[in-house]
Amino acid sequence: MSAYEEAVLEMKNIDSLLDQGYNIVYVHENLSGMFVELKKEEERKSVQLLTADARKYLSIKLSEKAG
Amino acid sequence: MADLRVKLAGIESPNPFWLASAPPTNTGYQVQRAFEAGWGGAVWKTLGDPILNVSSRFAAVNFNGQRVAGFNNIELITDRPLEVNLKEIYETKKRFPNHIIIASLMVEPRQEKWHEIVKRVEDVGVDGLELNFGCPHGMAERGMGAASGQVPELVEKQTFWVKEVAKTPVIVKLTPNITDITVTAEAAVAGGADAISMINTINSLAGVDLDSWNTVPNVAGKGAHGGYCGPAVKPIALNMVAECARSPHINVPISGIGGISNWRDAAEFMLMGSSCVQICTAAMHHGFGIVEDMIDGLSNYLDEKGLASAMDLVGRSVQRYSDWGDLDLNYKVVAQINNDVCINCNKCHIACEDTSHQCIDLYTESGRPMLKVREDDCVGCNLCSIVCPVDGAITMVEKKGLSPMTWNERQALMGQYAPTTILK
Repeated sequence: MSAYEEAVLEMKNIDSLLDQGYNIVYVHENLSGMFVELKKEEERKSVQLLTADARKYLSIKLSEKAG
Repeated sequence: MADLRVKLAGIESPNPFWLASAPPTNTGYQVQRAFEAGWGGAVWKTLGDPILNVSSRFAAVNFNGQRVAGFNNIELITDRPLEVNLKEIYETKKRFPNHIIIASLMVEPRQEKWHEIVKRVEDVGVDGLELNFGCPHGMAERGMGAASGQVPELVEKQTFWVKEVAKTPVIVKLTPNITDITVTAEAAVAGGADAISMINTINSLAGVDLDSWNTVPNVAGKGAHGGYCGPAVKPIALNMVAECARSPHINVPISGIGGISNWRDAAEFMLMGSSCVQICTAAMHHGFGIVEDMIDGLSNYLDEKGLASAMDLVGRSVQRYSDWGDLDLNYKVVAQINNDVCINCNKCHIACEDTSHQCIDLYTESGRPMLKVREDDCVGCNLCSIVCPVDGAITMVEKKGLSPMTWNERQALMGQYAPTTILK
């Protein structure tokens, strides 16, 4: 799978969770990539983003959320 | 026709092209010939206490058939008595009153030494002074040149001493042999400099002879580091000029030096904030006559751009130079290959496959070898277009990306979601 295809999968996963009503509550980056914590009422999901393009994409999602 | 006159710290020059302080400005004979050829100014070869030179002195680095891509020298400042130089400066200025003569000076870091030489030099009618805090070899071993120029306190103090007595504008010439040139530039400004010039030469060893194992150049089998200049150093010099030009703490004009070989190089330095440029290696390689092409080229360029004066060019690109953290992370360009022009050398494919992001595919269409970029995987590194030997075969084109966001903006945003985490 190409780097772009990997990024698309990660971006789709984020979109899917946001579409389901999850909110991003916590973001942390370390040597292993970006870790995103999402919450929908009491339900929590954790996503690890490995690709640079997906991490850029998530930044834009945070920006859109901030308005 | 555009007005080529420029002004640097009150010094008005007929054009922006000055000879730098170096072998081409060693004598009145040379400087007068240079002025006859069209040079607007000359920074006289550095004056100071008498020195002795060695033989041999110069070496060049040739690259893929281009002679003098880089130039190395271990020659010191003038080896002629001050009186002889002053007499020739006086005669030259008298014969060419509208041309600029700047006296380059270098003495020990003592107040009385600077006061003495400034007064003696100004008495013969120079248009300005350039303090040589950059010469990296020989003189630096004696505490002068780059040895002074690498210590901000010494730059400030010596500039201050010169300004105590100087009646003409003081230009401080900076060494590139330092981590951050803006630090010494700020020191020069704090000392009262009217302008700064950069860069002096870069510490260098031109090469080692693989037969004799001697250094190049060598003096009776021994070598010592020299100063590197010529076309190879231009990007380094241009960055240093730009860093000083965009610094809010450096509010004096700049004379740009370093690998300038033609009017295009000169225009780039002016766009990045140089009010005038100084040239040495190109004149040593091709003679004083190169200034004619420089004058014609710059004049035509200004006309094409609709600019009335060379000064209108100065600094126009400075605001476009910034920190990496202020660049848009989401701006995207991709490579596109024109197979009608491509000669199928496959250098782009090899470069991309071996050393970049593996996004150029080889395929065959109607029996003809073709190349195609998978644009989704292209990161816009430019490498394929850099290695391509055919103009127009590879073009980098803009693609619509995500909304603009810089690293600094991103990090500020991320901080809101991980307030206790170090994100750098």
